[in-house]
Amino acid sequence: MTLRPPAGLTRRTFLSATTGLAAAGLVGGCASSTTTASGATRVRIWSWLTGMDKYVAGFNAAHPDISVELNVIASGLKGGYAQQTNALRAHNAPDILHTEYQGLPQLLTTGGLRDLTTDLADLERGYSPAAWQGVRPGGRTWAVPMDLAPMVLYYRKDLFDRHGIAVPRTWDEFRTAAQAVKQADPAARVTTFPLNDGSFFAGMCWQAGDPWWRVDGGAWRVDIDGEGTRRTADYWQGLIGAGLVATAPTGDQDWIGAMHTGRLWGLLGASWSVGTLVKSIPKDTGRWAVTTMPTWDGVPSTGVQGGSAFAVSAESKVPEAAVKFLRWLSTDPAVAKIGTTFTTPFPGYLPSRDVARKAYQGGYFLGAPVYDVLDEAARRVPDWTWGPNALRMFSTVVDHLGGVKTGGTTLAAAVRQTQADAVAELRERGLTVREGKA
Amino acid sequence: MTVLTPERATDVPAPARSGAAARGRRGRGRAGLVLAAPFAILLTVTVLVPIGYALYLSLFTDRLSGLGFSGPRQAFVALGNYADVLTDSAFHASLGNVALFVVVHIPIMLGLALLLALLVDSAVVRLKRVWSLAVFLPYAVPTVITGLVWAYLYSPNSGLSAVLPVDPLGKTGILPSIVNIATWQWVGYNMIIFYTALQAVPRDVLEAARADGAGGVRTAWSVKVPMIRPTMFVALVFTVIGSLQLFTEPLVLRGFTGSVTSTWSPSLYVYEAAFIAGDYGRAAAASVLLALVSALLSALVMRLSNRRSR
Repeated sequence: MTLRPPAGLTRRTFLSATTGLAAAGLVGGCASSTTTASGATRVRIWSWLTGMDKYVAGFNAAHPDISVELNVIASGLKGGYAQQTNALRAHNAPDILHTEYQGLPQLLTTGGLRDLTTDLADLERGYSPAAWQGVRPGGRTWAVPMDLAPMVLYYRKDLFDRHGIAVPRTWDEFRTAAQAVKQADPAARVTTFPLNDGSFFAGMCWQAGDPWWRVDGGAWRVDIDGEGTRRTADYWQGLIGAGLVATAPTGDQDWIGAMHTGRLWGLLGASWSVGTLVKSIPKDTGRWAVTTMPTWDGVPSTGVQGGSAFAVSAESKVPEAAVKFLRWLSTDPAVAKIGTTFTTPFPGYLPSRDVARKAYQGGYFLGAPVYDVLDEAARRVPDWTWGPNALRMFSTVVDHLGGVKTGGTTLAAAVRQTQADAVAELRERGLTVREGKA
Repeated sequence: MTVLTPERATDVPAPARSGAAARGRRGRGRAGLVLAAPFAILLTVTVLVPIGYALYLSLFTDRLSGLGFSGPRQAFVALGNYADVLTDSAFHASLGNVALFVVVHIPIMLGLALLLALLVDSAVVRLKRVWSLAVFLPYAVPTVITGLVWAYLYSPNSGLSAVLPVDPLGKTGILPSIVNIATWQWVGYNMIIFYTALQAVPRDVLEAARADGAGGVRTAWSVKVPMIRPTMFVALVFTVIGSLQLFTEPLVLRGFTGSVTSTWSPSLYVYEAAFIAGDYGRAAAASVLLALVSALLSALVMRLSNRRSR
């Protein structure tokens, strides 16, 4: 295809005009000006958060002195982390970077994040402790929490009631319920335990209370094969071996099909699964209920799967403006209001959560109000620290879980191998590592 | 451009003529440079510089200290990354997978392509164009789409996996499944290449064969195949190189099954090292090794092909 000069322009003016445009584009691309043409402070953010464009538009409309420019990047391990890590290494990162709690320590190993401890010192008491702890690996504040994703159990209340299956409060009862579901409908299972999702597996182990990583003085302590994780692994190995749960991924076409046709009666999910359910199976309104996770012997506890936070680049020339935007994003009631127009947000900041709760339409779930259950779950989250290789271990553990379905290996063996790999990798990178519980 | 017009040397005095010639030569040299520049610049910027940078990266590694939060320090490790890769059992496994893939995929795919090309070239097949288009069409489908389509077909609730004796996404079924995807995608492309080569076989040679009493099969095997052997070797080289770079199919299937590990093929190994582990040194070393293996294998195949055609 060739560019044709529009009628009425000579070739020469056309050429010089286009060259000028191209040059301007190049210059514009290279410019690192911290102000826009109208004099507002320019803050650049990279994010894959759904609806971030709406939040940014809301902020820009209300703050003429700051102009936030959003660049949507690929999500998490699909390229987002790699892109941000590369940018930090190349010293051309945006002012604000997207991270999840589990990805923050890995992003921190670039050495390129700003210490926000003093910038955010006054905010601590507003957050769910789990969200606040999540942005403070090593005891300094490195990011601003956005949402929290405590895990909960969603179940088909209509089917549970019809077949007289009690809602499981402990994992022992859960096993009984799994048997009852299979008995009621041999094609149905109580849930799937997706073996291809490392963050899910980690979330399930989180509940058992033995963190996979700990900061131990100036060193990392790695305890992926600790007692709690082994208990979790053995328990699910039993259910998988007995054919009481499915092992297929959550959220794919097969899963949606199984949910549609009533072959899955439950979902081990997180706060954001509300959106998944409403979007994937809208016809199931009035069939599902949500409750806190079954517990180990009645001790209230629950894991977390996901949740976003935002960090500021150490090389940002406009850290004050960046922090101002992030404080707004994390704590302003307007954000929760915007969020409720397209999703069911569960903010880490408690006053914002009340805003979201009030704006929540409801109607989908039976039984206890979803925000009450999520609140209770958020209160039950035990201490946990993500290590600097958490993201990679999600991928490693999935590699090791590959053979579980066919019986080639066990969850316990996968956990042992993941521990060995995690320790070896951190040592390889020059870190001091201790193994086992402190 | 005036510099390129042929000079008329007849009525120009000698000294002036030699001056003009020199100018012309210089001009021609400059023109050559100008014309070659786009290629040279692109080659330098998109091939040579990245290769050089990969070689450089492969000699370094990032070392962390303390909790790692103060950032990495780049350390020179000479060939340490290469040693790491070469002793890494995951890398061995990925090479093993791809070797098995090559051994199974290439004979099946090229054999099928050759057979189809011979059939289309002979009078046996009617509707030549429709037939070749149908076989060629999968090549036009992007690999990611191909992978997704097949992944759904392989999924437990599809009809296909119910018919098959093994689970196509299981531990033993996964390699045949990937071979199947690649074969489906590439057989038409290679068939077209073979068919085009067959078109160039001189018709009088074929007539001579027929006159000597050779039937269709005999003509195909003893006349047509030997005459397109150089084309077949080129196709073989391309397929070997392409197979070593096997990436998209396993990456897509990984979303559907745990049988494909994050380091299933050498390309996935590089991807994992760079973008999940963030270990650019190891990723660069593995890339260099993969490129070396590709170059060696290609050279070997070319050498064989030359010997054969002599």
